[in-house]
Amino acid sequence: MVELLFEDIFTLIRIDPDGKKFDKVSRIEAQSEQFDMYMQLDVNSEIYPLQVGEKFAMVLAPTLNLDGTPDTGFYTQGQRKSLADKFEYVMHGKLYKLSEEGSGINVKVEIYASFGGLLMMLKGDPSNAAKFELDQRLFLLMRKV
Amino acid sequence: MSIMSHRARVMPWRTLRFNESVCNPYNADFDGDEMNLHVPQTQEARTEALMLMGVENNLCTPKNGEILVASTQDFLTSSFLITRKDTFYDRAAFSLLCSYMGDGMDHIDLPTPTIIKPIELWTGKQLFSVLVRPNAQMRVFLNFTVLEKNYSKSSETMCPNDGFVYFRNSELLSGQLGKATLGNGNKDGLFSVLLRDYNTHAATTCMNRLAKLSARWIGNHGFSIGIDDVQPGYLLNKQKKARIDEGYDACDELIQSFNNGNLKLQPGCDAAQTLEAEITGVLNKIRETTAKVCMEELHWRNSPLIMSQCGSKGSPINISQMIACVGQQSVGGRRAPNGFIDRSLPHFPRKSKMPAAKGFVANSFYTGLTATEFFFHTMGGREGLVDTAVKTADTGYMSRRLIKALEDLSIHYDDTVRSASGGVVQFLYGDDGMDPAKMEGKSGVPLNLERLYLKVKATCPARAQGSLSPSEVFKIVEEKLARHDAASAGGCSDAFKKSLLDFMCTKMKDFCRTKSALQLDEEYIENANPNILVKVAANIFGITSQQLQVFLDICTSRYDSKRIEAGMAIGAVGAQSIGEPGTQMTLKTFHFAGVASMNVTLGVPRIKEIINGAKKISTPIITAILECHSDVKSARIVKGCVEKTTLGEVAKSMKIVMTSRQASIVITLDMEGIHALHLKISAYSVKQSILQHSKIKSMMKHHSIEVLDDRKLRILPSDSDKRKLQFELHTLRATLPNVIVKGIPTVERAVINKEGEKYNLLVEGTDMRAVMGTPGVDGCQTKSNNIIEVKETLGIEAARKCIISEIQYTMASHGMSIDIRHMMLLADLMTYKGEVLGITRFGIQKMKESVLMLASFEKTADHLFNASFNGRDDKIEGVSECIIMGIPMQIGTGILKVKQSVKQELKLNYGLDPIIS
Repeated sequence: MVELLFEDIFTLIRIDPDGKKFDKVSRIEAQSEQFDMYMQLDVNSEIYPLQVGEKFAMVLAPTLNLDGTPDTGFYTQGQRKSLADKFEYVMHGKLYKLSEEGSGINVKVEIYASFGGLLMMLKGDPSNAAKFELDQRLFLLMRKV
Repeated sequence: MSIMSHRARVMPWRTLRFNESVCNPYNADFDGDEMNLHVPQTQEARTEALMLMGVENNLCTPKNGEILVASTQDFLTSSFLITRKDTFYDRAAFSLLCSYMGDGMDHIDLPTPTIIKPIELWTGKQLFSVLVRPNAQMRVFLNFTVLEKNYSKSSETMCPNDGFVYFRNSELLSGQLGKATLGNGNKDGLFSVLLRDYNTHAATTCMNRLAKLSARWIGNHGFSIGIDDVQPGYLLNKQKKARIDEGYDACDELIQSFNNGNLKLQPGCDAAQTLEAEITGVLNKIRETTAKVCMEELHWRNSPLIMSQCGSKGSPINISQMIACVGQQSVGGRRAPNGFIDRSLPHFPRKSKMPAAKGFVANSFYTGLTATEFFFHTMGGREGLVDTAVKTADTGYMSRRLIKALEDLSIHYDDTVRSASGGVVQFLYGDDGMDPAKMEGKSGVPLNLERLYLKVKATCPARAQGSLSPSEVFKIVEEKLARHDAASAGGCSDAFKKSLLDFMCTKMKDFCRTKSALQLDEEYIENANPNILVKVAANIFGITSQQLQVFLDICTSRYDSKRIEAGMAIGAVGAQSIGEPGTQMTLKTFHFAGVASMNVTLGVPRIKEIINGAKKISTPIITAILECHSDVKSARIVKGCVEKTTLGEVAKSMKIVMTSRQASIVITLDMEGIHALHLKISAYSVKQSILQHSKIKSMMKHHSIEVLDDRKLRILPSDSDKRKLQFELHTLRATLPNVIVKGIPTVERAVINKEGEKYNLLVEGTDMRAVMGTPGVDGCQTKSNNIIEVKETLGIEAARKCIISEIQYTMASHGMSIDIRHMMLLADLMTYKGEVLGITRFGIQKMKESVLMLASFEKTADHLFNASFNGRDDKIEGVSECIIMGIPMQIGTGILKVKQSVKQELKLNYGLDPIIS
């Protein structure tokens, strides 16, 4: 079985906090329910439009293979059964930076990933960042709930 | 780099073509340029051309090590558009684009699409990842970050404008590519990094791929400009009108207050100057704000906007001039001058100071200029044209003199820089013996440690290894440096070692900060307890021992490879590097130095002054650092001591008093004013000053000065000739106001300048020695921009330093970076004889001995006649002499003389062998 890196349900707070800069891409801000994580994510709003207040489930996984075999890094075609079947929007990218913010008890860890230029920033408690590693390949899966 | 060696492929038709990327070094465009081809005729010439002048070996300019052969114009535009965040390609389009870049002949590994579901989509950034590293067999791992023009100054990669370019292991993670990444004139761009981390081949193939991709892509995509691109929108028009009205009102107010005489003066200016300065400020602000509004209002598809954002052509000013407002026209650095009596043009009332009457153009090129605006615009335009025409001649002559003085300097095998006759100019070139063309860091340091560190950490993953503690790190670093010093020939320079240690120090500080933030302290780490937080901390800033080793290895080995090669004609290179930017220096001759109203000569005239070693420079300024730099009051006191004060300024009255018995002049001092200005002047000191005045001194032989009290003195004329008495008294009365009672006579004025939190004194004028000796001035830190004076006051070493810093300051204020080693060489050449020699015919005559060289420079006949009369001989060592005589010169590859023992050919005996030998 595939081991998920992160799984939670987010509520969308804002769209394009710095103004709409791109036609087809919007930056969304969302807050998770279970782990209280804050997320900024660039989403292709043309093919997957989102509205403020919507809730969606978001999963980060190291591979799409259901048996958990690691991703090769190269793309293979074909319609195999995969983790993606249960989701509406799937992106592939790379974790490129981890950093910390604040200190003491309110210390937060920031996880940065780039999905071919569409960026994600996930901020929250350090304990949630244990499974993440630099240069890890990530699949981001989303489904509206 | 105007002559380079290319490998030619003979093609049909009668023109030559090359990749657009090499337009830069040739300074070529296609407005009718012609080029010449030379074909080397011997194997030797062919090899030298290929190795020394080959394009691949000259991607960087030796001026400062920036890359010169890089993408330009359309390549930048198309890269910018491709890497926009919202360009997506489906499988067919992406594959097509991939095949564009290698003519469809490359092996390409298709990456996983960014969006897998609902449909497969690749982004433009992935296309660039493919471009840099098409397949897995290619072992190019590019790691760097660049700030593009549109970076929002915060939040790094998450920049909302996508201006933070981040390549990690040859994947473009964020950022829209523009000139900073792909263009010339940057040391951390994509091609520079490829060139430094890999080789020229990697950089050139990548450039080629980019050229092919972008030419084809933009051919399909299309890129053109139309009238709708320069039509202002409704909002912009409204905003512009509001801004201009606002500015005009502000100007009217200023003029009103000027006329009423209640304008608040700026320091060191009179009312008219203040008015000009304020109005210019207001008008420039109008242009700026309208430009800002204009840039914000434009749609992102606007072609001029795209071009200015990616840096391929044009600036925001050009755009706003087309769309919003052309702005103030200036002639000679001020508003349009009066060509008629008291007015610029007869359309305006006399003495009008209104914006429109003094050359402010409120219209845009789109709306069209009015007749007067058009005329003002031509005035500004003509000044530009005249200036370029005049400047070319000036800079050309300067380059020629520089070349003549520096042509024969070259590096020898003992690392010294010597002239052709063997005279040592520098013992170690540039104090570290490094090649300016190979410098990676900003301001001419050998390596960009930050980037290398990033690369090492990205390419050598930490895996399971734990990170080192700071104390371990420093132990390893010091060990490695010591080993390297012992092993290699020269070791590293102290400056480099220090920078490396400092760098590791800051990195370790970051690491400690992270650890303390995550509540992990030193001891805890050393227990090596597997813990989530430890792992997180390691992921953020940690470095493993393997990573550190690799980092240090790269640093030291790369440092060694950057040494300058013996034989290099570093003099000629340096002369070119200093002479060439001169041609690009524009109009901006004058410039404010911190304080408004205080001008310093800059640009070509200043460079000329420095290089000529001019005795009198047009704006001598002494920067005096104060001993007490936090207090304005003490600065004012020092200012009072430095600035000259005349008797006329401090005297309340100077009267000729005639009584029945004697006649005299009574001077009364204005003690309140003197105290208010903190001047230490009393009647006694005034008496001394009067006695020292040169004109009065001769007269005074017969007069006597009597001090009545603290504030009054009386001058009694001699009673030798009663008939002349009246005349004498009046002459004296006329001279007395000019007597300097306090301060340095050669100082024009002094201005208090605030730099950050510290006050210092800018003294306009000469006599550095007196300024240094003034109480309250820190003599050790006082600087002057007058080289000759520095030499006379502080000596030749200080003069050398002054030359370097002055050239550097002048170049920097025109936004030009030149490696400091070139300026050091020039300064050393100017001072190595023990006096400051200008690069003029007199200075060069003292530097060089060769008659032929001097004759080929200036005053040919004089030198030749003199030499023949004195029976001089010439050893034919230098470059000019060798060219004249047609023999190879002792520079570059000619520095070597190969001595080969040739086997004696067998002697053949013709005829009979001798019978008895």
